[in-house]
Amino acid sequence: MFNRNVENVRLIDTVTSRRASVGTLYLTATHTIFVENETEILTETWVLHSLVFSVEKQASTTTGCPLLVRCKNFQVLQFVIPQERDCHDVHVSLLHLSRPEHYEELYCFSYNANSDREDRRKAWDFINLKAEYSRMGLPNHLWKLTPANHHYKVSDTYPADLYVPKSATPPVIMGSSKFRSRGRFPTLSYYYKENHAAICRSSQPLSGFSARCLEDEQMLEAIVRSNPRSDFMYVVDTRPKLNAMANRAAGKGYENEDNYSNIKFHFVGIENIHVMRNSLQKMLEVSEAHFPSMSYFLEGLESSGWLKHIKAVVDAGVFITKAIAEEGISVLVHCSDGWDRTAQVCSVASVLLDPYYRTLKGLMVLIERDWVSFGHKFSHRNNHLNGDPKEVSPVIDQFLECVWQLSEQFPCAFEYNERFLITIHHHVYSCQYGNFIGNNQKERTELGLQEKTHSLWTYLWKNRTDYINPLYRPDHSQTQGVLRPLTAPYCFKFWGALYNRFDRGIHPRQSVMEYLMAIREETQQLEEQLASHEMKILNVEKQQKKSVNLETNMFDRSPAVWASPPSNSSVGLANTPGDYSGLGGFLKSPYQQKEPENSLLILPWPQELRKPTDPDLSTNGDDQESGIAGLSCLSPPNEESAKDPDSDETAYSAA
Amino acid sequence: LSFNTWVCPSLSYLWPTVGYSDQWDDLNKRFSPPLTAKDVTYICPYIGALRGTLTVTNYRLFFKCTDREPVFVLDLPLGVVSRVEKIGGASSRGEVSYGLVCKDIRNLRFAHKQMEDSLRKSIFEVLMKFAFPVSNGLPIFAFEYGQVYPENGWKVYDAQAEYKRQGLPNESWRITKVNDHYELCDTYPSTLVVPVNISDEELKRVAAFRAKGRIPVLSWIHPESQATVTRCSQPMVGVNGKRSKDDEKYLQAIMDANAQSHKLFIFDARPSVNAAANKMKGGGYESEDAYQNAELVFLDIHNIHVMRESLRKLKEVVYPNIEESHWLSNLESTHWLEHIKLILAGALRIADKVESGKTSVVVHCSDGWDRTAQLTSLAMLMLDGHYRTIRGFQVLLEKEWLSFGHRFQLRIGHGDKNHTDADRSPVFLQFIDCVWQMTRQFPAAFEFNEYFLVTTLDHLYSCLFGTFLCNSEQQRVKEEVPKKTVSLWAYINSQLEEFTNPLYVNYSNHVLFPVVSMRHLELWVGYYIRWNPRMRPQEPVHQRYKELLAKRAELQKRVEELQREVTNRSASSERAGSPTRSITPVQTFV
Repeated sequence: MFNRNVENVRLIDTVTSRRASVGTLYLTATHTIFVENETEILTETWVLHSLVFSVEKQASTTTGCPLLVRCKNFQVLQFVIPQERDCHDVHVSLLHLSRPEHYEELYCFSYNANSDREDRRKAWDFINLKAEYSRMGLPNHLWKLTPANHHYKVSDTYPADLYVPKSATPPVIMGSSKFRSRGRFPTLSYYYKENHAAICRSSQPLSGFSARCLEDEQMLEAIVRSNPRSDFMYVVDTRPKLNAMANRAAGKGYENEDNYSNIKFHFVGIENIHVMRNSLQKMLEVSEAHFPSMSYFLEGLESSGWLKHIKAVVDAGVFITKAIAEEGISVLVHCSDGWDRTAQVCSVASVLLDPYYRTLKGLMVLIERDWVSFGHKFSHRNNHLNGDPKEVSPVIDQFLECVWQLSEQFPCAFEYNERFLITIHHHVYSCQYGNFIGNNQKERTELGLQEKTHSLWTYLWKNRTDYINPLYRPDHSQTQGVLRPLTAPYCFKFWGALYNRFDRGIHPRQSVMEYLMAIREETQQLEEQLASHEMKILNVEKQQKKSVNLETNMFDRSPAVWASPPSNSSVGLANTPGDYSGLGGFLKSPYQQKEPENSLLILPWPQELRKPTDPDLSTNGDDQESGIAGLSCLSPPNEESAKDPDSDETAYSAA
Repeated sequence: LSFNTWVCPSLSYLWPTVGYSDQWDDLNKRFSPPLTAKDVTYICPYIGALRGTLTVTNYRLFFKCTDREPVFVLDLPLGVVSRVEKIGGASSRGEVSYGLVCKDIRNLRFAHKQMEDSLRKSIFEVLMKFAFPVSNGLPIFAFEYGQVYPENGWKVYDAQAEYKRQGLPNESWRITKVNDHYELCDTYPSTLVVPVNISDEELKRVAAFRAKGRIPVLSWIHPESQATVTRCSQPMVGVNGKRSKDDEKYLQAIMDANAQSHKLFIFDARPSVNAAANKMKGGGYESEDAYQNAELVFLDIHNIHVMRESLRKLKEVVYPNIEESHWLSNLESTHWLEHIKLILAGALRIADKVESGKTSVVVHCSDGWDRTAQLTSLAMLMLDGHYRTIRGFQVLLEKEWLSFGHRFQLRIGHGDKNHTDADRSPVFLQFIDCVWQMTRQFPAAFEFNEYFLVTTLDHLYSCLFGTFLCNSEQQRVKEEVPKKTVSLWAYINSQLEEFTNPLYVNYSNHVLFPVVSMRHLELWVGYYIRWNPRMRPQEPVHQRYKELLAKRAELQKRVEELQREVTNRSASSERAGSPTRSITPVQTFV
């Protein structure tokens, strides 16, 4: 129905503004596809409609009518369409396609829909929150699973399964939930089994200027008591104090230390979703500038406030981590509704506290727990449907960036690499997988996502080799236990690999990470070769033994045959034929003869972003410069650009 | 010999450390009798006041505080000190204090109780005496050092050998002896490469038209296209627009030596306004009317005074503590990164012209020993992989900086108490910063690591080695520096392991074109903010690199061994097996 194509469309390279490619633009039900028709190699640019952030039709010029498409993954495409009418049609169609009204129109419901239902269903069990709570040691003598929210009857934005202090009775839970915004009563997010301290989360209390709630006070008292070694707890309000006070006028607000025995109250001052949305917009303007001068870039970056906001989130995480790990004091975290800043702060603290969340699976579990299950409003915040633009905000984006900033400070502490975080960021918006559709567990259950869509986590797990940080060293003393990051301003860097992800040529020419990943891959291949050689030797030995046995039977013992013992004792050669059977698996390993010297240069990069199964990710062919491959550093800057006064800024791209 | 204790607390954490005690004794032998004062307070900007023992010798200042765990040690070569100042008289607490302003971004402050006047006086006097030996008519410590290393570092650079490596002399370029006794130009090296068809007599006439006699000479030649990088000083054009037929002919000869191009690019490192202002002082720049086929490009790099001021501001912003708010705009206000960007961008344009345009270039600034050295050496680093090895980089420094007369003595002010001298400027520091920026973008292209760059900068000031002494080759010959001092390269090359980048892959034929966008330049935190203990790296990444590479190397070795064994065995089993096969029928019975 929407299938249509426009020919002779030009795609402008927005980074250099110099090059343009001519081709045909296709609009399908799910993608915008641009096929270049001048090059010998077929170059295609695919953009998923759900990733389109804005479509802007600009004033016509003599060459045609420009159409600017901005994507949620920071790709910017500028098309020039010869006929204004065509441009108008494409504009209207794209606007319509990129802003569906109903969940059922989203890509995840049509993506790979024909795969085996049972397989798909099972894949969802890969991340299991029950297992996560029992990994933390729950339930135990201090914390119990409460059925209070089954059928979402206490809070429709909370998950069905919640953990509360053992002493919290149903009337206390009910009473407390009535005194909290959206019924989001204090409940457990993370339990630090080393010292029984816990991170709890909730929404703000409906305290207004003076209201009190006995059950809510009892609830907090129960939390204090469930940590036997402490006699008080922290209540962390993640909002700036002014915002929290303003909420009091609306009958909401924050806990009064006088009413709650044994709490210490603390503001951490993270700004609200509107401030964050505007801050990102400002930062993107800076990052999109073609030839930023030093003052434009640094001053623009600073005045956007983005890195300051990231720092605020990490600072809050550090505060909680100290309280839990060093003081052994439990913490209750809330903001207004307890699904944005609260999710950020709880999950950053979890990453700092527990090495498990620094593993691939651990991060998936963490996002599933603190974000998905606790009702972070993904569909609203990430603009999945045509909704209120004021609800949109880069909240989970900031969490992912916090993790990235930490991984820059602790390069050996994280099992996953930057690409993993970028891929999650991409799919938070792409709507290709069901994980982030909807705003809470209740909605997701009603949508039947686990029956109708695929899970991102199993896709990532299957491709995990692409996401492993080669520097990861789980056994090192500094990567174990609690991370204590620095939060001085110069420790927070601009994340070019995410925000300038699609700029050709702007990336550094060689990436240490990719280099090391290549080395890792090579090491694995060498291990396989080693195994295969060992097998060969064993086979030869087997044969020789047989022949020797024969020979010793038939002839004199021939010492020459026994003269070559295994050359390397550490290889651990099996001695008897019976030992060989266990090695059978190695026989299957592909034997690849390689020149060790050169292989490093010609290794194919694991290019998750260009997999054919993921057409929407295979955008601008060049966006991932192939790290150390010599070609990129050989590419000469073009003559034309060198004459330009701005040439020193020109991002020379690979030939 | 290890300087880990003072080189860099953060790096000593990163790199394998060697206990200093043995070397300390070793070095002590060469010291004058040290002066020791007890109960001195070091006012550390990060930890607070520390009480301990201060020792001052003719090489170093050594402060040790044993009151705390771990023991605090401050070990500072006096060459790093740019200024010693008494801070006030006796304070209310009866303490006197003085501050040391250092060339490596630090400021140190000591205080002690009012002691007998003589001791107090002597600490200050000893510091003033040994920190500024030149001002006191004393020799610089490098002349007394005399440590023996396995290698003579002064042999690293041999001009003839380096030109030979470049394929020179050839049919277009010759090596001239005209400057053998530094008569043509006293700030140039004795070995010069010039176009074949220009006689020594003509060279002398060209020298008369170039500032300080610094004629255009070859720095580097492209192995394939024969395009060259040549360097010189500004032409003495003056307000009247003087011309020199010899100079014009000379530049034409440089162009003609490269058959690939009928153009010559002249890169004037200065902003055009500055270049024009130089005409008032008799200098100036080449007019395109006089120099046919030449195109003049200004690279807008500022002079030594602007750079000195920029570093001063940078120091204010980063030391000792960084203001929490406005970090980026404070950094911006120093313009340091902007200067770095302009230098790298200039070098990139030069490298691009030579590599992609196959065109020869002439590079100059005013005198051709500051910005010109930065530009030619960086361009050569981009163009020629040899200079990206440890020894190649040493050759590059020896050649483009030392032999071509970058005035290290004046720019650094070794042993000179005149700290306000307007000739001081961080020109070489900027160059090393640019190199560091390149290593960030091409982490596998350089054989040396960050520690090598930091060590080089530390010994730029330390005066332990003779490498960076004097202003020119002629001065070094006259002072017999190579005979009487040890070269830094002797020390470096005696423990290469510590300075080697584990990720290095020899891309000798590759040309590097770094991205010179603001988004890809960053402040070299590991150098400028290294004194801040909070900057201590969290994890030993380099160790991890080495482990990964070592594992691969070990596996490669084992695979090769087994490969050989497989070949041997299958060969021997064939030999051994052949009779078996002949008796196969028997086997069925066994």
